[in-house]
Amino acid sequence: MLETLHSLYQGFAVALTPLNLFWGFLGVTLGTFVGVLPGVGPALTVAMLLPVTVKLDATGALIMFAGIYYGAMFGGSTTTILLNTPGESASIATALEGNLMAKKGRAGAALATCAIGSFVAGTIATILVTLLAPMVIEIALKFGPAEYFALMVFAFTTVSAVIGSSTVRGLTSLFLGLLLGLVGIDSQSGQSRFTFGVPELLDGVDVVVLAVGLFAVGETLYVAAYSSRVEEQIEQLRGSLWMSKEDWKRSLPAWLRATLIGFPFGSIPAGGAEIPTFLSYATERRLTRYPQEFGHGAIEGVAGPEAANNASVTGALVPLLTLGIPTSATAAVLLGAFQNYGIQPGPLLFQSQPDLVWGLIASLYIGNVLLLILNLPLVGIWVRVLEIPRPLLYSGILLFATVGAFSLHQSVTDLVILYIFGLFGFIMRRWDIPVGPAVIGLILGPLAETQFRRALSISQGDPSVFVTHPISAAVLALSLFAVILPHLIRHFRRA
Amino acid sequence: MKAKPAEPILSIAVLILGIAVAIGTAMLPSGGGYAGVGPNVAPAIVAAGLILIGIWLLYEALSGGWRNARPDDPAARGEHPFHVGAFVWVSVGLFAQMLLMQRAGFVLAQAVLFASVARGFGSARPLRDFAAGLLLGFGVFVFFVQFLNVNLPAGWLRPILGAAGI
Repeated sequence: MLETLHSLYQGFAVALTPLNLFWGFLGVTLGTFVGVLPGVGPALTVAMLLPVTVKLDATGALIMFAGIYYGAMFGGSTTTILLNTPGESASIATALEGNLMAKKGRAGAALATCAIGSFVAGTIATILVTLLAPMVIEIALKFGPAEYFALMVFAFTTVSAVIGSSTVRGLTSLFLGLLLGLVGIDSQSGQSRFTFGVPELLDGVDVVVLAVGLFAVGETLYVAAYSSRVEEQIEQLRGSLWMSKEDWKRSLPAWLRATLIGFPFGSIPAGGAEIPTFLSYATERRLTRYPQEFGHGAIEGVAGPEAANNASVTGALVPLLTLGIPTSATAAVLLGAFQNYGIQPGPLLFQSQPDLVWGLIASLYIGNVLLLILNLPLVGIWVRVLEIPRPLLYSGILLFATVGAFSLHQSVTDLVILYIFGLFGFIMRRWDIPVGPAVIGLILGPLAETQFRRALSISQGDPSVFVTHPISAAVLALSLFAVILPHLIRHFRRA
Repeated sequence: MKAKPAEPILSIAVLILGIAVAIGTAMLPSGGGYAGVGPNVAPAIVAAGLILIGIWLLYEALSGGWRNARPDDPAARGEHPFHVGAFVWVSVGLFAQMLLMQRAGFVLAQAVLFASVARGFGSARPLRDFAAGLLLGFGVFVFFVQFLNVNLPAGWLRPILGAAGI
């Protein structure tokens, strides 16, 4: 405990240097700006802004990413509330009541409860990360390759099979990602796989190219084809940005409850932020003293899901930092950013580079504060972004997004691959195949393969190692359960 | 029930992809040392997975359609029918970008991309769009080359950009 506090203190010493503070500030601002753009979720925001950090040292870059991560989420909520176009599935619950509040002329209060709720939930969740991470590391240090492999399989099943509307379509996306993860030179044998003689493919598929292709190119193609001629209605930013006493009284319990709901979902790898946001929405709807307001813009219905989203996203940093396992598309892109710096998160990172890890954790606290003091006053500027005519808005998104993918290797081949991924993204969006699992599969697949082979070479080729180790066996059983459970429930409901 | 040809086609595409991966896997060497796990084991698992998923998708497609899918009718999704022109203009922009990037250079490639995407979204002012794209492309170029030291192709604008000291 004391040791943790000391590490955190050291972390603040790193994060509070003027330069690092500046990177955090820049990250929050850029993240919000890009996150506000309609259809641009946090995963794409991080991917688009990745090249901007090429000149920074690892610590500065990660601190900036923490800011981008938070900024992107707040920006997304702003768009969700004013435009009713959730940039990602985790914002759908916020959109339900948030847009209705905006329609009633209470957009100001809705944005305020989002921003303050994000701050409250984010800060509590960051405290929990601070306390939990050292404990998880204690356990994680005892894990062997078999346990890691089992945990990764668990992450695969929860992100693909549990969330989303269909298990099989989630798995389709996951396996496409796993297939892309195979492309390139196999790190252990030096064998090149599925490269078709294209030299650019030897290094594998870059997560930035996949994320930009699926999220930016695919999304733009989709919107152009199916809704570019639909009139959009932007709600005006009306109503005071100050919440009334009544608003506070109704928001505060919702934030706290939502934090408790959201955090575990993010930290256990239980399938991302979508489920807790809806759980929180349902909870608030049941507990509210103003049930008649639900469906007409109830503030609890905004406060809860938004806080749950933030708590869950922050909670996702526990498995990401301590185990190196991303549980959302955004976390997967972040892991890609880590890897660009040659950093592999995991228990050993806390020992080998404590400055970096604790600097990052400290910058989460700072990021939360920056978000609150920067974004709420500046919300008028962010709203302006939404008033840019749509043709220019989408052209701009594509212009900036493709810079990110091209500048990585300055290769036209990447642009060709980008368009192919864009077509995939279009098809997946149209036929309701989630894209998140593909991004996670790409980045986590090669890591899972490495652990799989390590486990088998320790056991001298005996595959029973995965079921004779109790932790590995339990986690694998849980994974199987997670795939089958939704189907069992459906079966019994019908019976 | 209305026939939905797309779902069986996509299901079969996944199935064929799985078979193609299986064939590709068979061509990989299997030597994996004493652990017996060579570079072909993970591809084999992925191939098997894709084939099973393809069969599962096809089964769903042929027995009442994919489960819980979004409505096939665009109006029911709050959208308009597939707009061929918009899709083509966005694609044209991206192809032009690929072709122009190395020859004409980054700024011009991005400007053409910008103008044709805007055209796809219904803008009727190509000159304004091209100018806006030129300006944004130039800004990004300066930022990347000057501040990030990332080399982007200057192309046909090299004389101008060079004269400006970039």
